[in-house]
Amino acid sequence: MNKMIELKLNGETRKIYVNDNQTLLEVLREDLGLTGTKKGCNQGECGACTVLLEGKPVSSCLILAVKVNGKSIMTIEGVAEEGHLHPIQEVFNEKGAIQCGFCTPGMILVTKDLLDKNPRPTFKEIKDAISGNICRCTGYIKIIEAIQSLAER
Amino acid sequence: MSDYKFIGKDIPRVDGPVKATGKAIYTVDIKLPGMLYGKILRSPYPHARILNIDTSEAEKLPGVQAVITGEDLREVRYAFVDTPRYPADEQPLAVNKVRYIGDEVAVVAADNEAIAEKALTLIKVDYEILPAVFTAEEAMEADAPVIHDEQLEGTSAWEDWGVAQKKQSHESEVKISNLSGHTAVSFGNVEQGFLESDYIREDRFELKATAHCQMEPHAAVASYDPVTQKLHVWLSTMGIFLKRYFLSKTLNLPASKIRVHHTYVGGAFGGKIDLFPYEFCAAYLSIKLGRPVKIELDREEVFMTTRQRHPIIVKIKSGVKKDGTILAQDIKVIADNGAYRGSGPVVIFLCHGFSFPIYNVPNYRYEGFSIYTNNGIRGPQRGHGAPQIRFSIDSHLDLIARDIGLDLVEMMFKNVRHKGDILPNGDRLNSCGLTEGLQGAAKAIDWKNKRRQFKTETENSRYKRGAGISLCSMFSGAMYYPFASAAIVKLHDDGSATLFTGAQDIGQGSYTTLSQVLAEELGIDMEDIHVVAGDTDLCPIDLGSFLSATALVTGNAVKLAAADAKRQLLECAAEILGVDNIEDLETCSKKIFLKKEPQKSIHFSQAIQASVFKRDGNPIIGRGSYKGYPETDRYPSLAKGKGLFTGAYGFAVQAAEVEVDTLTGKVNLLKAVTYHDCGYPLNKNIVEGQVHGCVSMGAGQALSEEVFLEKGQLFNPSFLTYKLPISLDTPESVEGLVATIEPSGPFGAKEVGEGSVAGILGAIGNAVHDAIGVRIKGLPITPEKVLRALGKI
Repeated sequence: MNKMIELKLNGETRKIYVNDNQTLLEVLREDLGLTGTKKGCNQGECGACTVLLEGKPVSSCLILAVKVNGKSIMTIEGVAEEGHLHPIQEVFNEKGAIQCGFCTPGMILVTKDLLDKNPRPTFKEIKDAISGNICRCTGYIKIIEAIQSLAER
Repeated sequence: MSDYKFIGKDIPRVDGPVKATGKAIYTVDIKLPGMLYGKILRSPYPHARILNIDTSEAEKLPGVQAVITGEDLREVRYAFVDTPRYPADEQPLAVNKVRYIGDEVAVVAADNEAIAEKALTLIKVDYEILPAVFTAEEAMEADAPVIHDEQLEGTSAWEDWGVAQKKQSHESEVKISNLSGHTAVSFGNVEQGFLESDYIREDRFELKATAHCQMEPHAAVASYDPVTQKLHVWLSTMGIFLKRYFLSKTLNLPASKIRVHHTYVGGAFGGKIDLFPYEFCAAYLSIKLGRPVKIELDREEVFMTTRQRHPIIVKIKSGVKKDGTILAQDIKVIADNGAYRGSGPVVIFLCHGFSFPIYNVPNYRYEGFSIYTNNGIRGPQRGHGAPQIRFSIDSHLDLIARDIGLDLVEMMFKNVRHKGDILPNGDRLNSCGLTEGLQGAAKAIDWKNKRRQFKTETENSRYKRGAGISLCSMFSGAMYYPFASAAIVKLHDDGSATLFTGAQDIGQGSYTTLSQVLAEELGIDMEDIHVVAGDTDLCPIDLGSFLSATALVTGNAVKLAAADAKRQLLECAAEILGVDNIEDLETCSKKIFLKKEPQKSIHFSQAIQASVFKRDGNPIIGRGSYKGYPETDRYPSLAKGKGLFTGAYGFAVQAAEVEVDTLTGKVNLLKAVTYHDCGYPLNKNIVEGQVHGCVSMGAGQALSEEVFLEKGQLFNPSFLTYKLPISLDTPESVEGLVATIEPSGPFGAKEVGEGSVAGILGAIGNAVHDAIGVRIKGLPITPEKVLRALGKI
């Protein structure tokens, strides 16, 4: 624990001590107990560990914690507000876009980024947006349908 | 049927919110006070004798708490198949020999993962490298290196459960090197059938190993309490009672001293049912050290050392009449099960089990061989044998139809089985939607027009389009430990209920569908139900979420438990309402009312109170149970294919439209059609989700997925190099439900989670042939194979 970093985590300013070699994923999961961010491959290929860094989706397993000093991070734990599911979370559940749930946090954050920037994405834009996130359960169809229905709102 | 309030309705998953908010706890998320971390030293060689292991330097490293090797566990044996004929051949850590690259050699438990990894580098192992063999056909040759030369005692894992098969000669009548399993089944007279045939054709198909790719890596946390002598484990698994049984046997602990705790499971697909060395070693180390131990595999280890789908060679010879009626079929299957038996004898049995329910073949001979090689271990994977055999048979049938100028769909209509058929082993098809499925799928893909249209439209184009079709089937549970599922429904003061089930939601939605069954039967609402699941201390036995058993077997148990609770409620209510016969009462939304005078009603809570006061404090607890197959006490013979297999077969008819780029060889799946006969769908949204997942996995295996092995070394143990479908590969998908009613299923339901992974392979293979006019007999159909088939490279 040899470096202190300050970050805005899910809207809250936090000062934490991290090691030089710790990834953001490790700090979130192991030190802060935010296990909603999932470790699927730990090599930047599956998207399960996606968080929003300054509003942009990144693989937290590829980023050293010391590098996020002074930045804002949103994890899945920060998406629902005041105990209410975010519309993306609600629609993912209603439309059957969740099965085992392991890719779900990453998928929801990628969707949030997509819809924040582009509230009316096309079918192709939706497929492109989630193309870095692997889901083995759904064949992506109900995830895409869920995002489409959000886009139509 | 339409009167159902919950059954068949698209009710959102009950575990959706907890998963959507990141609050669902998976095994990899578990962290206990004082927890140690285990790391595994693995063999770098495919086949070698262990001469010496020196752990002294590793043990000296500060932070290392224990190092164990095979010497500590010489007597421990277990396996997915453990019968007198096929004795358990796996050990948690290698004793004397390693048999594949990745075989477990030693485990270190340390204060953190970094120390454990460092310690692994300090363990010195001296090996004598042995000759190795990497294909099943080479391993079968007389002079092939012998992979298992140890003498194994043949006992049945389930003998003490009263289900031992009759003692028989363990010697296999077949003398083939490295044989791990043999299945031989025949009925009718095959030679006579061929003699009477107008046309005979033989083909050989080959399918490669594929990976499950569950998003959650395999992990185990074990915590032993030396005071109570109780072992607590958290496992990412499909079957908590089977795991407990394995652990109880291998650790020599009473079953009641092991508690498997609930966690969510980040995907399984068949690959989390075997007992794994990391699970045993976490438990063993926790007992040894009296501290919690966690072992989590990294992604490369998951690819290399958990399980893969069996690479299989299928040789088929069929004889048909001019009109397409199949008269005789002779099938040979060779499965490479890798370095240990895994599910080898099961997959060769299931290749038969998933083949013979489809077509009525009067003269049939089937022979399957599972073979040891020095590759990674193969085990169950979604469909378990169905993809391999269904791809092969329906590719072969398409070739015959083309040869004799028949339409494949017409030929399928002529040969498919129907409701009421009795299979040669005695299984009866009480529901079978193959004919309706064929009609639906052929229509959805516009079978006749599309096939002609593609030819003319794309004649001069670089892009060729084609359509194909294939059929598949799957069990709905079978007789396997613990041979039944049970359920408990506990009613609360306010009339709501807790469902206790040993079933595990691995993503397939069982907590939701089982809740629907309970809500419908008992007459309460979905929000009145709380599910307690996946805990061996709290929940009654369950077959587990494999063999596609949950909907039918556990579903029936839940329905019976709900009916039991309801009966108790109605008996109390009858007294209060002054009704003689409980048949005159009905329930809905926690109310009990007279069928004829619905305004006369009482709330569940009143009946529950009455039960407590008037029936010796009985708070109303309903219980129900259902056997894996009520008509038998035996598991089927893997070697002879005798005995009853399953109470209900799920079926699917699948069609595909593809576009082949003849310049690059790339095949694009444009449209995937599935008509699944899952009986009556408990939840259409969930059924569609299962079909989508199956189609995606099947399409991946048809077109891009392959575990690349070169002399036993895995070359693509990552998501970057193992090409599973991503969102950009998603085809247009059409699902039709053939809503049959399975009389033995809860509300008519049966299997849906596995079957439709299988038909899409043959559908794609046949569509590619349709597009380019050339048959590719090996999967996956990679661009290279397409270009070779076209003579371009």
